[in-house]
Amino acid sequence: MIVRADFHLHSCLSPCGDLSMSPRAIAARLAEQGIRLAALTDHNTALNCPAFDLACKEFGVRALFGIEAQPREECHILCLFSAPESALAFGSELYDLLPPVMNIPEKMGDQIYVDENEDIAGEIDKYLITSADIGIDELAARAIELGGIVIPAHVDRPSFSLTSQLGFIVDGPWAALEVVRMPDRAQYANALDTRNYPLITSSDAHFPEHIGRRAFDLDIADANLLRADGRVDLETIRAALERRPR
Amino acid sequence: MKTTELAAFLGAKCLQNTFEDREIAGAYCSDLLSDAMANAVDNGVLITIQAHKNTVAVGTLKDLAAIVICNNRPIPDDMIEAARSEGIAIFLTGDSQYTVSGKLYQKLNA
Repeated sequence: MIVRADFHLHSCLSPCGDLSMSPRAIAARLAEQGIRLAALTDHNTALNCPAFDLACKEFGVRALFGIEAQPREECHILCLFSAPESALAFGSELYDLLPPVMNIPEKMGDQIYVDENEDIAGEIDKYLITSADIGIDELAARAIELGGIVIPAHVDRPSFSLTSQLGFIVDGPWAALEVVRMPDRAQYANALDTRNYPLITSSDAHFPEHIGRRAFDLDIADANLLRADGRVDLETIRAALERRPR
Repeated sequence: MKTTELAAFLGAKCLQNTFEDREIAGAYCSDLLSDAMANAVDNGVLITIQAHKNTVAVGTLKDLAAIVICNNRPIPDDMIEAARSEGIAIFLTGDSQYTVSGKLYQKLNA
């Protein structure tokens, strides 16, 4: 079975995310776009994941619960989990590792999380788009230890990526790499060397109209997308990612 | 030294000149934005090769007077636009971060 997926979405909790990007609005838009599997990935926090969980159930979207984490090296890394609790636990560890640089909402944007009724449940004090005091290897290992999978974000972009910060695709326990554009090796002899990792594209949406752009197809073959407890089975996702182009 | 004097002093091009001229309080050189966010000087200059709009966000948080982009790194239009709306001057130079830091250190710390 082929599942249309988007693994990189920001909500109103990211300071750069539009206030209209409530978890419910995102889920509604995903369903409208025919995207059946999606991950919420705010910067260094998972506090909108519980609301995303409920919204996805309402709109029939299978949800993954993620964080776009920023380690010391300043490469953005998508860390995806089956259960919102795991993402929340990881987010809480990251938050403690963020420097005490406070957000200035009127300048940088609001960092708001909501409850199941879309009412504001709270606001995050520390500015989220900065680096947690943890190295990239340690970050990846910790996410995997908590049951997650790890995907470096927009590796072909000139900022906050493996290539912009480290110069090339470093080895790691990457389930895949997210690219903005699939490299066309036939056309570009000097296309980015993606070191044979599976490649995906995703929207990195900060505004409703961007949801679903660059969605990708995941072939899960005859495996079950869901575990017995109704959560997405990350083993199925891992195996399906192996079938992606490299 | 004031922001308007930076171009001539550094031999740099000013690519974003919508700003309020002010006294330069100091300078910081870093290519890690989280480090710049922690250590850049309010009303100062950030010397970097990070030529993209996220650098302007650091400038906004730290109330920077100017960002100096080194090694003639290409500067995308959206960075210039962001800097214009924030009133942060952008300079471009072929010099390295080392050279620009050296020049400013002699001027500001002499």
